[in-house]
Amino acid sequence: MKLQADSLHIMRSGQEVLSGISFSVDSGEIYALLGGNGAGKSTTLLSFLGFLPPSSGRVCVNGNDVESDIALARKVIAYLPESVSLYGHLNAYENIDYLLQLSGVSASGEKINTALDQVSLMPAARQRKLRDYSKGMRQRVAIALAILRDTDILLLDEPSSGLDPGAIDEFHQIVRNLADNGKAILMVTHDVYGACQVADKIGLLHNGKLVGEYAATEQAHIDTETVHKAFSSTADSPAHALSA
Amino acid sequence: MKQVLLIAAGEWRYWLRSQLALGGALIFLVLIVATSLLNNLRMEAEKQTRTRQQTEAEETFLSQPDRHPHRMVHYGHYLFRAPAPLALLDPGIDAVTGQAIFLEGHRQNTVMFAESAASADFGGLSWLSPALIYQLFAPLVIILLGHGSVVRERETAMLAPLLAMGISGRTLIAGKALALLSFAVCLLLPLVAGGAMALAGGETLIALLSLFGAYCVYLALWVALTLLASTTFKKHSTVLAVTTALWFGFSLVLPAVAVDLASNSEPVAGKIETDLAMLADSRKVGDGHNANDPALQQLRADLLEKHSVERIEDLPVNFRGIVAMEAEQKLTKVLNDYAASRMAAERRQEKRLIDYGWLTPVLAVAFLSRSIAGTDLAHYHRFQRAAEAVRFAFVQGLNRVHVEKLSYQDDINRNKNEAAWQRARVDASNWQVLDTFQFRTAGISQRIQHASSSIRILLAWLTVMFGILFWCGGKIKP
Repeated sequence: MKLQADSLHIMRSGQEVLSGISFSVDSGEIYALLGGNGAGKSTTLLSFLGFLPPSSGRVCVNGNDVESDIALARKVIAYLPESVSLYGHLNAYENIDYLLQLSGVSASGEKINTALDQVSLMPAARQRKLRDYSKGMRQRVAIALAILRDTDILLLDEPSSGLDPGAIDEFHQIVRNLADNGKAILMVTHDVYGACQVADKIGLLHNGKLVGEYAATEQAHIDTETVHKAFSSTADSPAHALSA
Repeated sequence: MKQVLLIAAGEWRYWLRSQLALGGALIFLVLIVATSLLNNLRMEAEKQTRTRQQTEAEETFLSQPDRHPHRMVHYGHYLFRAPAPLALLDPGIDAVTGQAIFLEGHRQNTVMFAESAASADFGGLSWLSPALIYQLFAPLVIILLGHGSVVRERETAMLAPLLAMGISGRTLIAGKALALLSFAVCLLLPLVAGGAMALAGGETLIALLSLFGAYCVYLALWVALTLLASTTFKKHSTVLAVTTALWFGFSLVLPAVAVDLASNSEPVAGKIETDLAMLADSRKVGDGHNANDPALQQLRADLLEKHSVERIEDLPVNFRGIVAMEAEQKLTKVLNDYAASRMAAERRQEKRLIDYGWLTPVLAVAFLSRSIAGTDLAHYHRFQRAAEAVRFAFVQGLNRVHVEKLSYQDDINRNKNEAAWQRARVDASNWQVLDTFQFRTAGISQRIQHASSSIRILLAWLTVMFGILFWCGGKIKP
């Protein structure tokens, strides 16, 4: 297993944010963790990066306990936060070149161009400063960076928030391609519809507990009641989208 | 190390593309270059003026006609303190202590201002020296550029991806610190240029390097302080508010409070009070103008016995001259005791003020800078001691002429008629009692030794600040 959470408990400011969740993500697999605000989705991502140590249980990357070697875990993970900004004063090439060098990888301009082609970033936009980019465009640059870093694992935090439907579809296609090339992808999202489209597995998180887990083949059988429960903190339940 | 260099280079690229950073650096550059040039011109002019005035004063003294030697004692002589070579960077306390002193018999005059033009300077911005710019404004530029270093990564959500890429918090901070430190060194380049002029003026390379090192440590401190705030607080505006408040407190409020506290805790007696006490004590040693002063009767008896004569008229030397010499010696001891006591009080006050450097590094670097430049209180005292040595030597030299070149009979009868008046004069060739005076700063090792407390304070600040920063670097979280 590339990613594994095993009876994971995490406390933050004296409150239990995750209460013994267990799941795993394998190579070539996209796992979507769904849940409402405060369900513990981002906390789960951060625990794989070693930013939040478990109060009990464990998180493993490539079979190694993250706590025992955080640097080793981070080396094989590419992480895209919800608001991908990168560096606004640099263009796409400069951003990728700088961040690649920081992560100890070197890539020629040709390779960078190929990666940007893969994520369909328009050539005309590549020399523009990122402060002029839309979120979708910045996300493409971040994904290109992940491609060039060639990490085994991608952690995506709310990747579709703020994107228009066309951009979401394009993004899902890119993520699908990466998974098909053997990457293990864990994404946390509010977007039930999108998750059902792209994920191989869906986990429903509610108040720090994994209240349901479904494989792609089982998505038709997802219990709307459970989805309602998972999103019970949100006013407008996405379960309607699922049943639509 | 490669990551540290990359982060530092990335930070430089950000500054070069940021109008705010470039604008701040440019304003500082204009300020420091203008101040350095103006200060250099002023110091060079003052140096030439004081050197010329010194030469003129010596020539005037030496060109006096035949006179009674004691008239020459009261004719007096001026000494001028030429500015130290590094005064063009740090004029220190020169502006408030004066640069010229009138030397005469029986008195130790206070140092005064050499020229009336100096007072006109107070109306302008003459107080703004390169040292003051480095002490007060360079930290502001560092704050301007550095306050966003870490918090910017946090606010743009880049901190988590950077850490997730395997860059440790300490590496990130080391890179940012390297960028800011290299910028601080760039800020000091005008100081090096000014130092080169001081080298040409006779200053040593070690002194220049010491001054450069002192400001490097001081600015490194502000780099650490700025980065610490940028690492600790989560909002750009909070970091800016905190660092500006710290600058305000360290640079303006605490030094003013410290000066007030030091003045009150180590008071120095006022001039009028001291002068009255000194006058009372000086009367006890006898009046050198009065050969019959009761305080000098023992001298008379000793001399008569020594030369086996009954009357002072029979002495082989001029008794009035001997009295003048003896009285001057005793009086000088009283004056020196008072001067030593006043200097000790001023040093205690200064020591107290130096100790307040533990509260604000601005005070510590100000003392260190003045000490290395040779424009501190110690050098003011050094000038006063050198002036007193010159005064005592020339007065006693003239008294010796009085003793040896003028007979007692001619001396006491000088007011009888014109011929007697002429006989009571000695040849002008006897005025060659003055050596050419040139005030020199202490050796650099002595200057550094004098500033050892300030060096310790600055290094302690630096160690603590970077220690805390290193610790915070290990704790940094997105």
